[in-house]
Amino acid sequence: MTKAAPAEGQPGDRTDQRTELVLGALSAAVLLLIAFMIVFVFTKAWPSFSHNGLAWFGGGGNVDEQLTNIFNSPADPGDYVYTLHAWPLLYSTALITGGAVLIGTALSLLSAMFIVEFAPPWLAKVLQPVIRLLAAVPSVIYGLIALLVLVPFVGNDLISGDEKESVQFVIQLDGTGLIVGVLVLTVMISPIMIAIVTDALRSVPRGWTEGAAALGVNRFRALRTVGLRAARPAIVAAAVLATARALGEAIMLSMVSGSHAFAPNPLDGVTFFFEPALTFAAAIVDHADELSVTPSGQTIYAFAAVLLISSAFLSFAGWVARRSMRKYTLAAR
Amino acid sequence: MTKRTRLLSVLAAAALTLSAAIPAMAAAKPTITMSGSTSVAPLVSLLAKKYLSVCGHCVNFKLLQGGSDIGVADAAAGRVTIGNSSRDPKPSDPGGLVFTKIARDAVCIVTNTANPLPTIDQAGVQAIFGGGVRTWSSVPGATQRGTIDIYVRTPGSGTQDAFQRIFMGATRVFGGASPKTSNGLIQQLVTSDEAGIGYVSLYFTNGLHAVPYQGVPCTLRNAKSGQYGGSRNFYMVTRGAPKGAAKAWIKWITHTSTAASIVGTDWVPLH
Repeated sequence: MTKAAPAEGQPGDRTDQRTELVLGALSAAVLLLIAFMIVFVFTKAWPSFSHNGLAWFGGGGNVDEQLTNIFNSPADPGDYVYTLHAWPLLYSTALITGGAVLIGTALSLLSAMFIVEFAPPWLAKVLQPVIRLLAAVPSVIYGLIALLVLVPFVGNDLISGDEKESVQFVIQLDGTGLIVGVLVLTVMISPIMIAIVTDALRSVPRGWTEGAAALGVNRFRALRTVGLRAARPAIVAAAVLATARALGEAIMLSMVSGSHAFAPNPLDGVTFFFEPALTFAAAIVDHADELSVTPSGQTIYAFAAVLLISSAFLSFAGWVARRSMRKYTLAAR
Repeated sequence: MTKRTRLLSVLAAAALTLSAAIPAMAAAKPTITMSGSTSVAPLVSLLAKKYLSVCGHCVNFKLLQGGSDIGVADAAAGRVTIGNSSRDPKPSDPGGLVFTKIARDAVCIVTNTANPLPTIDQAGVQAIFGGGVRTWSSVPGATQRGTIDIYVRTPGSGTQDAFQRIFMGATRVFGGASPKTSNGLIQQLVTSDEAGIGYVSLYFTNGLHAVPYQGVPCTLRNAKSGQYGGSRNFYMVTRGAPKGAAKAWIKWITHTSTAASIVGTDWVPLH
């Protein structure tokens, strides 16, 4: 339609107005859809929150057993069981996401610096498309590889019999757990961060780093003190995007992170890294077949509601961080 | 512009004719939709293939999965013609549902092939899966040493329901065990973990050691003869008694020898 407009010729053509209306209606529809989704999830989730109050976010008891009790609620709506203390889920989500994003950010910054400044041109030419390809690999493939290779390796070769025995009446260390989840998640979120940071570093005006070099600074230091500093808003944007992906990662974590709602304890020493964890997104996947039981469904929607709120906070925090960095750069948005 | 408009109207007319034609074609054949248990699904898809060739493509089938509880809920809400369930009716199920038994299936206790447990009895299962016994050295006949890794299923699974009812009784599953979402996942994890123990449908025991339960090996033959104690039922669930095409289809499954021979390949026929 829009392509046909010039043929009709004169300015003030109705086509533009029509395009505006159609596009406006579309974006309004998207907004409506999002609003509807939020309202829907929160309405569904409300009974779970209202029955538990703030204790929903607290600890206490075994979450797996609580979920089983909710699932086995009596048929009478008056007797529905809702008791849930979801602290282990909240903590695991923060731990796995935070761990992966921290390691991932460090790795991505270093790789991006290498690609932009140090890699020979032919290598950079190969690396960039490969990294973009990696960013597009579906998570379930990472999950499968981790399940077939990494989990048996960790379970059989890294975890010692004594470590297993020391916690055997509380949890089991079978190879699935925190460390595998964090490592695979790091591999998953790094490519997209590397891609964004590389683009940002390339767009830093050449004169800035050259100016630093002219003052006698070596290449690495020039890149670190000038290039990275100028690219900070893009780094934050990359980190936010990566965190969002990590937060929503479900299938892979459901396969390799242990699927047992437990809060890994840093005081346990090395064992901490092998302890099972369950994030909200993975919990939704694991318990999706219980949706048909009313109270279970409401509890699962409560997980979804917490995820929605976290991602909203995340976008907001990213926006604030980028705003406060405006003064460092030329073209920050 | 006018060319475009003409093209658009031609396209719209074509779409209209098509959309009118498809329901007209489909109306000639009834459609049977099914959802539910992932354990029942492989059996039902085999049966459906044979049924179509036997009755000359007299119906359309749509088979979805999702877990026994999904099947029961979908059938109750009228979203599907038939819900597949690998668990027995529960008192909390909606009223007015009819469970028609179509086959039986064995649930096997499995260990890694490096640890071929010679036999296990109900007390042994309850001690291990309940968390009372946590080391292989306290399990008679085990060649493995060290801590036991228990793999169980999430509560919505029909296999979990059967395991709890047949093997565990009132004993609760150890709270530190990791619940998994499918037979295949448990199969994979026990295959790669020498200290592992779990339970799967007989169809999923490849590459694992199926532990004889109360001295009876978990095999198709023993399940068929009724000697193996760990068997459960497969059901087709309908709202009210099955009607029309669904009635003919369920009757074909339960009453013909053709269907029984398909069931007999990996499951236990009713007759």
